Amino acid sequence: MMWRDVGVTLILSLILPVVAQGARHTPPGKPKLTSCRSPDKETFTCWWEAGSDGGRPTTYSLFYHKENSETVYECPDYRTAGANSCFFNKNETSIWVNYNITVVATNALGSNFSDPVDVDVVYIVQPHTPENVTVGVLDDKDGPFLRVSWEPPRKADTRSGWITLIYELRVKLEEAEEWEEHRAGQQKMFNIFSLHSGGVYMVQVRCKPDHGFWSEWSTASYVQVPDYIPRERSMWILIAVFSAFIFLILIWIITMNRTSVKHCLLPPVPGPKIKGFDKQLLKKGKPEEVFNALVVQSFPPRSTDYEDLLVEYLEVYVNEKQELMLEGKDLQDVGCLKSKSQSDNDSGRGSCDSHTLLMEKCVGVESKEESSYEEPELLQGQAGSWERLERGDSQEVDTPDSSDGRVKTWPSVFSPSNHHYGTLEIPKQHSTSEITYSIPDHLFPTSTSFSHHHHPEYRDSLGEYSEYRLSRSPSAGVAYHWKAQHPQAHSNFNIHNLERQKEATGLPPSRSMEYVEVQKVNQENQLVLKPLSSHGRGPFQVQFGGAGVDYSKVNGVNNDNVLLLQRQREMAEAGRYCDYQKEGGSAERYPTQQQGKTAKDGPVATQLQESTCLTASGYVDTAPTMPTF
Amino acid sequence: MNMMQVIQSVVWAVLLWPCLVSLGVPLECKDEQGSIILCASISKEKLLDRVIQHAELIYRVSEESCTLFEEMFVPFPMRSQRNHAGYTCATKAFPIPGSKSEIQQISDKWLLHSVLILVQSWIEPLVYLQTTLDRYDDAPDTLLKKTKWVSEKLLSLEQGVVVLIRKMLDDDMLTTSYYEQGVAPYNLQPEVLESVLRDYTLLSCFKKDAHKMETFLKLLKCRQTDKYSCFLH
Repeated sequence: MMWRDVGVTLILSLILPVVAQGARHTPPGKPKLTSCRSPDKETFTCWWEAGSDGGRPTTYSLFYHKENSETVYECPDYRTAGANSCFFNKNETSIWVNYNITVVATNALGSNFSDPVDVDVVYIVQPHTPENVTVGVLDDKDGPFLRVSWEPPRKADTRSGWITLIYELRVKLEEAEEWEEHRAGQQKMFNIFSLHSGGVYMVQVRCKPDHGFWSEWSTASYVQVPDYIPRERSMWILIAVFSAFIFLILIWIITMNRTSVKHCLLPPVPGPKIKGFDKQLLKKGKPEEVFNALVVQSFPPRSTDYEDLLVEYLEVYVNEKQELMLEGKDLQDVGCLKSKSQSDNDSGRGSCDSHTLLMEKCVGVESKEESSYEEPELLQGQAGSWERLERGDSQEVDTPDSSDGRVKTWPSVFSPSNHHYGTLEIPKQHSTSEITYSIPDHLFPTSTSFSHHHHPEYRDSLGEYSEYRLSRSPSAGVAYHWKAQHPQAHSNFNIHNLERQKEATGLPPSRSMEYVEVQKVNQENQLVLKPLSSHGRGPFQVQFGGAGVDYSKVNGVNNDNVLLLQRQREMAEAGRYCDYQKEGGSAERYPTQQQGKTAKDGPVATQLQESTCLTASGYVDTAPTMPTF
Repeated sequence: MNMMQVIQSVVWAVLLWPCLVSLGVPLECKDEQGSIILCASISKEKLLDRVIQHAELIYRVSEESCTLFEEMFVPFPMRSQRNHAGYTCATKAFPIPGSKSEIQQISDKWLLHSVLILVQSWIEPLVYLQTTLDRYDDAPDTLLKKTKWVSEKLLSLEQGVVVLIRKMLDDDMLTTSYYEQGVAPYNLQPEVLESVLRDYTLLSCFKKDAHKMETFLKLLKCRQTDKYSCFLH
């Protein structure tokens, strides 16, 4: 069985190709008419394409019949137009008549018909391309232009009007990509303007009947346009000239504003500026000269212009320890009436204000004799002026710095004169043990009753000032330092008292100082002083020993031109200052001192008992306290 | 493009208006002595030119109308087959030459008369076409306008040809046909394919005949200028 199957399959496999080969011969496939065209509306040609030929040679034939007749004609000419084509000549072409055309493919096995197509010659006209396309460059006043001319295709009968053709042309530069198209209508000539100078143009023309298809483009015609305007070059020249001009103007502007431009771009680095500092000297390497140049001669300010040196207040030092003793020898130090200056915050007198220092000073003063009378000076100017005044009389006084027990008045109104001497005039007339100090105007100028034997120029200048000053500084403490002044010295300070004459003879060599108490200020603005000798010197001497002494300090001048003195307490041992309140009642005593009471010197013990503190401002103890010893 | 052509047709209508006016007046450009008298008429050449331009315009508008209608109403498979059975163009009373050679053998008189016959034969069907197209629901306005314009211009063309015949052929016997609102076949179902095809056939046949008129007139013109060169081709 298996053998049979194998044999059958073998036979079948041999037979099938043969059979299949025989099956390849089939009737031809269906042909198809592709297009029919007429170039001149007088003849036309139809083309077809063949379908599968079916393996056998096939023949094609075209049959047609006209619109209103049934007569079928065959294609008269198969060869003229090439393969698979049919050409209808003039005699067979009728216009305005529909042709029904069919192509038949025939081979040995059969035939096949194509689909019929209706053709009206009028509508299938596609002329040939225009002929004799010529392009020429013509010149005009505006520039050159192209003139393109052509002729209709030879076959199209436009002359008789059989066909009406319209034309179209296109132009482009040789290197350009896009064409520029123009409709020319029925004319056979066309002008093209606005040419690129020196360019090469390509031109093509085609045509179309008023109803039909466009022809093919004619072959391109080339034309060279001559260079008629070197426009671009001149434009560049103009631009170059213009930009050069602008560039020159910019340069000129920058040159004119050279400095400001430099400032803008490179701002100057600020350097140190020291007045009087000479860089050149420094460069030369002589620092001494440089630094000398820095020394300003006007520093510290001298006593020339004191109007600028306004002083806050008038301070009178009344040293508690050293009361001025008018009787006796040691009156030369009348001016040693001091009040210990407390540690004023606004002047650096605290450190210098030890009584020991004061003692030395007074001693020194005593030894000086008449010549050492110092003028009670109203020191003017600032604190710095102390020194100056000190210096001014430095030959007379071996004084410490000025902060100690000086009459410090800084009225700025002091006119520049070196002879500023506060004048404290103590009238001599007082036979009493009172010492009346007449406060000169410039010291305590008030509207009334200051003695006027002083430098008149001071008077006015000081007028309001001192009063103002004094009234303003109740707390500051007014320190007087009255120094014994030689009457013959150019001062007006005269301490008139009984002992004064004694004094004038000579300075008592005693080491002790006499203190006076200011009892009151009389009507003539004179301080009425009372020597404290009545109280006994011992206490003073004791006081000298180092106990605390009473210094009278003027608290202020009230409205009645009354010196308000306030005693301050001080520690004997040291200048220990404590709160004012601890004095206990010194403020109370204050209002009682209307008359400018005598500064009670109060024994030290008393004072010590009463208070061991000194107020910061140093007030005279105005309350009468009984010394307890 | 359509608008341009409409404008052109209007311009031509305006230009041809004096021609129409002059039709009512007998053209007496020659008195009895044969001397030329200034008469209010145009020369044959100019008239022929104008007639030719008129025919060209008519043809162009008819071609556009046919295209519009074809795009709008005719299904695609049927567009190329204009001659369905039963929808062929109406045959004329006398045979129209179908080829150039035949046409060249026809005399001027025959050419003119052929044109006249053609024109006159289409006046009525165009009126009918107008009414039919109005009944279409979505007929575009341009189509309607064009068909209307064409039918109007056809009348003026007819008048021009009559004058031309009279001038060229000295034939005064022809008169212009008067349009009569005749009883036209009434199309009940305008949008049925049958009627659509019928209308389409009508338009394409008219287009063909317009082309015929144009061609005849142009050939005639050639004969007027240079008789021999026209035939040499």
